[in-house]
Order: sequence, then C-alpha cells, then structure tokens
Amino acid sequence: MSESMTPNESLPADPLTDHEYDGIREFDNPTPGWWYWLFGASVAFSVFYLAFWHFSVAGWTIEEAWSDDQRAEFVRVFGSVGQLKTDDQSILQQIDNPQFMTIAKAAFVGNCSACHAKDGGGLVGVNLCDENYKNIKNPSDIFRVITDGANAGAMPSWKRTFSDNERVILAAYVASLRGTTPANPKAAEGQPIAPWKKTEK
Amino acid sequence: MAESQVAAGTRTGLMGRLGERHERVHLEQYSYDDDIVRKFLTVTVVWGLVAFLVGLIIALQLVVPSVINYTTASGSQPFAFLTFLTNVPFLTFGRLRPLHTNAAIFAFAGNAIFAAIYYSTQRLCKTRMWSDRLSRLHFWGWQLIIILAALTLPLGITQGKEYAELEWPIDILIAAVWLGFFGTNFFMTLKVRRERHMYVALWFYIATIVTVTMLHVVNSLVIPAGLFKSYSVYAGVQDAMIQWWYGHNAVAFFLTTPFLGMMYYFMPKAAERPVYSYRLSIVHFWSLVFIYIWAGPHHLHYTALPTWASTLGMLFSVMLWMPSWGGGINGLLTLRGAWYKLTDDPVLKFFVVGITFYMMSTFEGPMLSVKTVNMLSHYTDWTIAHVHGGTLGWNGFMTFGMIYWLAPRIFQTNLYSKKMAEWHFWIGTLGILLYVIPIYVAGITQGLMWRAFDQSGALAFPDFVETVAKLMPFYWIRVIGGTLYFAGAVMMGYNVLRTWMARPAVYEVPVLSTPALRPERIVRPTFRSRLGGNTELGHKGDVFIQNLQSAWWHRVLEGVPSKFIFWTIAAVAVASVLEIIPMFAIRSNVPSIASVQPYTPLELAGRDIYVGEGCYNCHSQMIRPLWAETKRYGEYSKPGEFVYDHPFQWGSRRIGPDLAREGGMRSSLWHVLHLQDPRQSSPQSIMPAYPHLLDDPLDFAQIQTRVRVNAMLGVPYGEAVREGKAAEMARTQALKLADEIVQADGPKGLENKQIIALVAYLQRLGTDISKPAPSETGTDPAAAASAKKAEASRTADR
Repeated sequence: MSESMTPNESLPADPLTDHEYDGIREFDNPTPGWWYWLFGASVAFSVFYLAFWHFSVAGWTIEEAWSDDQRAEFVRVFGSVGQLKTDDQSILQQIDNPQFMTIAKAAFVGNCSACHAKDGGGLVGVNLCDENYKNIKNPSDIFRVITDGANAGAMPSWKRTFSDNERVILAAYVASLRGTTPANPKAAEGQPIAPWKKTEK
Repeated sequence: MAESQVAAGTRTGLMGRLGERHERVHLEQYSYDDDIVRKFLTVTVVWGLVAFLVGLIIALQLVVPSVINYTTASGSQPFAFLTFLTNVPFLTFGRLRPLHTNAAIFAFAGNAIFAAIYYSTQRLCKTRMWSDRLSRLHFWGWQLIIILAALTLPLGITQGKEYAELEWPIDILIAAVWLGFFGTNFFMTLKVRRERHMYVALWFYIATIVTVTMLHVVNSLVIPAGLFKSYSVYAGVQDAMIQWWYGHNAVAFFLTTPFLGMMYYFMPKAAERPVYSYRLSIVHFWSLVFIYIWAGPHHLHYTALPTWASTLGMLFSVMLWMPSWGGGINGLLTLRGAWYKLTDDPVLKFFVVGITFYMMSTFEGPMLSVKTVNMLSHYTDWTIAHVHGGTLGWNGFMTFGMIYWLAPRIFQTNLYSKKMAEWHFWIGTLGILLYVIPIYVAGITQGLMWRAFDQSGALAFPDFVETVAKLMPFYWIRVIGGTLYFAGAVMMGYNVLRTWMARPAVYEVPVLSTPALRPERIVRPTFRSRLGGNTELGHKGDVFIQNLQSAWWHRVLEGVPSKFIFWTIAAVAVASVLEIIPMFAIRSNVPSIASVQPYTPLELAGRDIYVGEGCYNCHSQMIRPLWAETKRYGEYSKPGEFVYDHPFQWGSRRIGPDLAREGGMRSSLWHVLHLQDPRQSSPQSIMPAYPHLLDDPLDFAQIQTRVRVNAMLGVPYGEAVREGKAAEMARTQALKLADEIVQADGPKGLENKQIIALVAYLQRLGTDISKPAPSETGTDPAAAASAKKAEASRTADR
C-alpha cells in the first residue's frame, strides 16, 4: 500500500508509541506545556468570575444595571424640568426645546412611522401634517390619543411604551408637524380645526 | 471462531490473567465492505450541492427585495421577474432556511461522516462491518429521512426549533436509523474487531453516536396533534434551555467530534506521518467531551434564562478553548517535516485550511460566549459568519479533502483531474473569505447601529429597516462568495463523476487475513517516587502522577469498548443532568406572572401559522435588559411570560425587528397590509410577502385538537374550551377582529382566512404583562385559582 508509514529523513526524531492502526502510527510526545497553562488559566478565570459575580457582594445583575441606566436617563433628559404638565400650553412650549424634539422625533420614527410615515404624511394612519384632524381639537387631545388610543384600537395606546413626559414631548412633536410638507401626503381625513394658539409668556 | 472472540473479549478486563500465552495463531479471513462507502460518498456530493444551492437561494432572497421594485428611467423593472423568490409560499425564506441548515448538517455533513466512519472503522478494527444489511438499512433509511425533510420543510411542516425542525414521525425514524441501524452496527463491529485497541478516531465516533442519540431524543419529546403537527413537552424558558443544549451540542457532536475522528484517520493517511501526540489525544478527547455539553446556554445570554445557567454556559465555553485546540494542534503538527507535501497535494491543502478554520472558530466561539461580547454579537450576522467559518471551512473542507483522497481508492482508479481539485481548493477558499468577511462586517455594523444613541439620548437609528438597508452591499458580496463556493463543489461533483466513470468493470475485493483478537498482555508498569526526602503521601502522589502521565490505564480502557462507552456516556450525561435538572426543579427560575394567560384558540391557531412559516428565523421574541433594546422595543422580557409557549419562539437572529412586544403596537389593518406586501408600508423591507394568507382558509376544525393537546401539556384552558367550544370561540374572535379591519377601511371577508389568526396572535404578543390579572376568555376559574394558590406557596418557599 502506498500509504504505509516508512519513516524517512524528514520525520521528527521524537519517540514513537508502539501503536499501529491500519498503518497509522502515533508519537509519544507529551501534551505541550502551554496547552496546560492556558487550560489552567481558563479554569482559574472561571473560578474567579463565578466567585465575583455570583458569590460576592461586589457583582451586580444586568437588571440592576438597566435600572441604573433608566434613572440616569430620566435625570439627564427631564432632570431640570421634572414632571411635565399635559395642558395645551405646556405641550406647545416643548416645541421650542430642541433636545426634546430630537428625542421625540426618534421615538416617532421608531414607533409611529410604520403607520404615519417618517415625515408624518400618513400611510395606514392619518396625515399629521395637514389641517384636518379626526379626534383632535387641541394639543392636549394629541396627548390623550397617544395615551389611550383611538378609533377602536386602530390607533393603539402607547401608555405602556412611553412615560408621561415622553408622551408630552411626543404630542408636542406631532403638533409641530402641522403645516410641514410631507413627500407623499395622504388625503385629508376628519375636519379642519383652528390653528394652535400659543400664548406668549 | 466467533466464540473464541467473545471469550477473549470477556477476559480482557481481568488484569491477573493477561500474562497467558497463546501458542496457536488462527488466521481469519475477511474483506472490507467498500460498496457502502461508495454509496455514502456519492450522496455526500449530491446533497452537498443541494445544501449549497439552497443556501445560495436564501442568500439571494435577502437581497432581491431591495431591487425588485427598481425602475429604470424608461419605466421598466428589470428585476421584477425575481419576485417569485419573495412571495411563493413554499419558497419563502422562513421555510427554506431550515431546509438549508438541515441539508447542510444532516444530509451533507451527515453522509460525509458516515462515509468516513464506514471506511475507517472497518480498517481500524480489521474487520468487515458487523452486518451488511444494517449498513444498507442505515443508508437507505437516512436518505429517506433527507427526502422527507426536503418535502415537509417547504410545506411549512415543522416543530419550530432550530436544526430540530423535522416533525415527530421523521424524528422517530431518525432515532431508529441512527441508533437501531447505525449505532447497533457500529458497536457490534467494535465487538467483533481484530485489533485489540481502539484508535482515537473510534473514540470520537463513539462519543458522536451516544451523545447525538441522547440529544435528539430529549429535545424531540412532543405530543402529536395529528401526523404533521406536535407541541414540545417543554415550554418557554425550559424549552429554550433544552433546545440550545441540543443546538449547541449538535455543533459539538455532529459537526465536531465525528470530524475530529475523520481528521485523526485521514490526516495521517494523507500526510503519511505519525500523529503528533497520543497523550494529547487522550487529554483533549475527555476534556472536550466533558466540557462541551455544558456550553449550550451561551446562546441565551441576557435572555429570560436564569443568570446562573447563562454563566455556566459562558464559563464552560471559555474552558472549552484548549480542549478544542488540542485536536487542531494534533492535526496540524502531524505535518511537521512534511509541509512541503502541501505544494502538490490538494487533499492536504483542504485539510490544513479546514483545521485552521476549526481553530479560528473554536477560539471565536469562546470569545463570543463571553457575555459582554455576546451583548453586541447576539442576534446579528456575526453569529452567521462564525457558523459559516466553521461549516464551510472546517466541515466542508475536511469533507472535500476526504472525498479527493477516498475517490481514487474506492473507485479503484486515478482521480480524474488533480488540477481541477486544486482549482476547487482555491476557488472554495476565496468563496469562504468572500462569505465570512463581509458578514462579519455586516454583523458588527448592525450590532453597533442597534445600540447607537445620538447626543440627545435618542436612538441614532430608531427605524429598524435602516439598519437592514445598510447591510445590502455586504449581502451582495456574500452572494458572490457563496456562488464561488458552490462552483467549487460543482467542479468536485464533475471530478468525482469522471473518476467513477473510469472505474474498473469489477471492483477488486482484496481478502485479508489477521489473527483473531487475543487477550491483552499489558503489564502494569511500576513507578518509584522521584522525590528525595518527603512524606509517605508525597511519594504516593508522585507515583500517582507518573501513572497518570504514562497513560497505561487509558491503554487498557481502549481495549474494552463497553467500558469506554460507559465512561463516555457518563461524561456527557452527568454534565447534562447537573445543568438541566435544576432548571426544572427550582421554581424560582421561572417566577410566574398572574396576568399571563393562555392564548385564545384563535391566537393559538395564529401561533401555529407563525411557527409553520418559520417567522422565528428572522424575528426574535426576546427583549434583553439593555437600555438600547428596551428603548427600541419596550419592557424587557420576563421568564414568566413564556410559560404557555410550546415551543418557545425566542429566535436567534434579528433579520427583522424583535416582536416580543408587538401586540397593540400597530393597527390590525397595518398588519394585514404589511403581511400582504411588506414593501407597501416599508419600502426598504426585505421580508417575504404573504398574500396567500389573505386567501387561504383557516382550518377551524383542527383548533379543538390543538387546544386539547396544549391542555394535556398543562396549559390551563377552561372546561368550555377543552370540551368542544374552541372552534366556536375562535370564530367569534375572528369575526370581531375582521370587523375591526373593515371599520378601518381594510379588506372584507377575512374572518375565515389564515391571516386573521396570525394577526390575532401578533396583537396578543407581550401584552399580558401590563394587564391586571383577571380570568380571561376560556380560562378555567378553578385552574386560575389553583395557579394563584401555587404561586402563593411558591412565594412562601422563597
């Protein structure tokens, strides 16, 4: 057979075992030292990891880290304003806060654009850029519709997705869409309503 | 003769008698069954081509939607003819992806390992397979399973668990063929062997056969609801745990251990060099077999799986690095002094690149299992790239190398073209690189986009589809890489075909003769302590270490297959039990949530459609407690939300967005229009279209059976639902929902279509947690009360 294993000059000089299987031989080399060291290191790491995260007071859970993130986020975004009011004027005032509008826009794109289009022009949902509205007379109605939903669930309730403050700035963002020019506006639905009335302080 | 063998076999364990001399030498004559090897090798080539082709088709399906609506200046749509790849039900991604994975794993790799095992086992045992009939039953049974898989998966007949999709009748067939035909034949061959000691390749084959049996049986336990449908006996968190214990070890014991066995036989054969280290074989075999089995939970980091299980999965994966590399270095170092042979031997080229990919994958695997790395990589294409480095590189190239080495030997002629094999090697290597590199980039890109915030603290890419559209260039490069890999395999198919055509009219069957197995003569070596002045204990310890290192005890074990099999089973079973039992036994692992109620009959029917269409292939239902994730999808998932999910549908890849909190997020009409054609509402979407769901009637008649099976599994359905009211309730809910859609100016007449059930299910997803805890439609008040009681006693336990 051509695959017999006759040692030749290029065969390493290591000791062979006396095993032979179908012409296959095995060297009696020891397992390399670095293999043991790295294996030992991985075991040592595991022991340390387990001790730190599961059997010491120093570790924390991912849920705790998440709660910290949530608190930090609220303080960072709403820390200076506290709980926002939900009346017409409070909602309209938020339009002037560029940070709030950026946050609200991202929330709108992520959650509302599937039905209302990214620019508010409307798809399955109504056009939010024109002068006609179905369930809305005042900005606070926008907050109410976002909170409770409308049209028998066609517009869902977002109460459990967004905090009160988030729904206030979202309502402000939607109010700000009125009068903008979307790429593909959906035909007007509902009744035309009076313009938002903002009282200057 | 047979009698003397058996007698010899029973004596081997008795050390005291090993010194006996046997004067007479009986020569026994036998020949090898190479016909079975030819059979398995042929189908390996054929199924390989099928698996790669289906892979190429699903790779195309991820890019085609981005071009079908492309319109030129003159108004023509040059790619519109490809629309069939996105909307023909049995060709949708969700149904074909399981076909691709099953074909690659069980048809291509499966038949390859059978070819390797049948060729090498006979030669390593110096005997013919124990039963030619069992060999044939194994072959034809396995091909039948593959054909049944190819028929049922595109029809949407599935259990909805990754790499374990095949329905229960096929599962039973798999168990019968694997253990009844293949396992029995293999173990009996070991029993009638004429070589005293089992070579390391055989150890890996043993580990493969016993462990795959265990994994397959435990993960496939279901209660049937008809011939084509069943429900996993496990639910939610436990089902996820069992599934990934199976899924990860399918990688371990179907794609790793048998291929290591293949490497240990064919590598030294092709290199004509001794294996680097016998003692390394021992250390890495046992550490690999013992440690691998724990690693499954690393597929579920930061999910609703308890943290302790997740930690075990991670740590055992980290510890698995060296045991895996032991095989790699033993393979590569076998080439010491023979590297020059690579220049003109395509077989060795395939082996060396295959082992290199193995070592890369088995370094990357432990790295990806580290929780913080996994936080980024999970649900992204990083996993896909990792898997394909392993499968295309390690499994594919080891198989190709073996085929080129075997084909001339079993067809008893010269390989048709060595040059073509060389071309296959280079084109295949280029194909792998063009596959994995862009997909790594895609995975990391998307992972970073998901977690990116802008300066205001809002998500930088709140629209999910933006993060998908970004990947299109990488997906196109993958199509090119896959095409090259497939082209290489076509060349191999042609090469093997031409080699086969040049076979002799009649195959030569050499008759060999070997003495029957004789009792072992191992003299236990005696060691003296090498230490100078020391305690008695110290001297004993040193002697013990020397005994351990000399490995004579393992040599004895290699001579007794029954003991070897016992210890292998112990290694995999003990580890499994230690991980799985606590998951079921400790109730605090899944704290129950009173407001979580069973699905209504209509929602359950919708869930069956969700599972059948393979939605889980692209959509996860598991929000991790990460700020970027809850910002995008809502409240993170809790273990108690999934207690009625038979099977769980957490998914492993987000080609589309997570759906765990989809319920109530959009109007029902939106869902109808989106399923009809996703590109209506989301132009950049790459999801398949499901217009047929608006036409196909919903089978209300079968809902009753399905509800009843779920009730058997412990889902607390009320008596009214269990005893015949399920279909009626489903119709009532369907009417109400269909009416809602009509009210919103949607299509009429959906109340008896499949889509209504699917939309009902989607609108339910993730909503229970924010509800008060009333008893809902169809729930048995008594059952709910007793559940509450149980919950109270559980709380008291803690």
